[in-house]
Amino acid sequence: MKSKNKKVNILIAEDDRISSKILEKHITGWGYDVLVVPDGKKAWQTFKKNEIGIVLLDWMMPEITGIDLCRKIRNDKSGKYTYIILLTAKIKQKDINEGFAAGADEYITKPFNPIELKARLKAGKRIIDLLEKLHKQAIHDGLTKVFKRREITRILNEEFQRAQRTNQPLSTIMLDIDHFKKVNDTHGHPIGDEVLVEIVSRITAKMRAYDKIGRYGGEEFIIILPHNSQKSIKKIAERIRKNISQKTIQTSAGPLQLTASLGCTSTENIEASSAEMMIKISDKALYNAKNNGRNCTVVV
Amino acid sequence: MTEKNPPIDFDSALKRTGGDKDFLYELIDMYMEDFIPKYDVLTKALKEEDFTAIQETGHYLKGSAANLSLSFLKDSALQMELAGEDKDIKKAKQTLTELKKEFDRLKTYISNMD
Repeated sequence: MKSKNKKVNILIAEDDRISSKILEKHITGWGYDVLVVPDGKKAWQTFKKNEIGIVLLDWMMPEITGIDLCRKIRNDKSGKYTYIILLTAKIKQKDINEGFAAGADEYITKPFNPIELKARLKAGKRIIDLLEKLHKQAIHDGLTKVFKRREITRILNEEFQRAQRTNQPLSTIMLDIDHFKKVNDTHGHPIGDEVLVEIVSRITAKMRAYDKIGRYGGEEFIIILPHNSQKSIKKIAERIRKNISQKTIQTSAGPLQLTASLGCTSTENIEASSAEMMIKISDKALYNAKNNGRNCTVVV
Repeated sequence: MTEKNPPIDFDSALKRTGGDKDFLYELIDMYMEDFIPKYDVLTKALKEEDFTAIQETGHYLKGSAANLSLSFLKDSALQMELAGEDKDIKKAKQTLTELKKEFDRLKTYISNMD
């Protein structure tokens, strides 16, 4: 998961096969993963199918020119930022201006100098890595490292639509730590933070690899469980609840006994028309669990 | 091998292609393989006065020649590109002869190297 070690995929779009062979040899030699295509149309298809960090675009290509492709990539808001380097034999100032106006980050004149290209790719990778880091910070809760509310809501919307499309069940669990305010009031916020981190670790220990968790509020979490049937949701929720309550939590202020209440729902149970509706119903179930004396699971 | 104006600057091409001689030879073969159909495209384009094709093919040949430090071929291909841009059929015709002459010179030079 460390972005530092993550390889950046580079897409080379170049119709001159000699130039693309030279580019491929150098760039793979520098440790990047490379995809090579001979025209703009294939470049666009490859770009849409793969996670591309850096694109090297020849300006003059059949089908779609490099400059048009550059505009297309910039207008595409579906993915992460792509660093675009235009490869060009055009060195007139007006052409360079046009390249930058189309959204290129850099341009390299042909025939390229390998040392210069290496340095430019390194600069591109630095920007891609930095954006990736910022993106991770933006979507993850700093303390517990789970998704922030906005991101988990976005994920739930996506999963909800997928579930509708594929006719697969989808379940959600809303979890709230019981009497958490007391921990903060009695022992202070740093101890409260320790408790939150440990509880998240106990929750995730009982989740499947493709389940997702987000911090919905202060001590409230939402867990998204794709392909999960009504039958198994209660079992999973109970496993999570027991994992929290069965053992005391070791904190700097000594061992603390904590419990949690869980409200669950599944698309199999309800006629949810939206992700928001699922949240509302899970929240209602959680409310019922609280009213039932806490430290329990309610499925609606 | 002691030709006064060799068609290829071998050291520069080798540097550009990462110092791998076999790879460079492979690319030169590729260039020669590509040249013939491109030459045919140019001959046809000249006959039909298709200036876009003249310009594009000239541009393509210029780029690949530059990558392999084939400076004479690169210059001729550039002239072809410009002739296409300027819609100058007379210049294009002259340049086509020049281009072929340079290509034959490269072929002879390479076969003497083998």
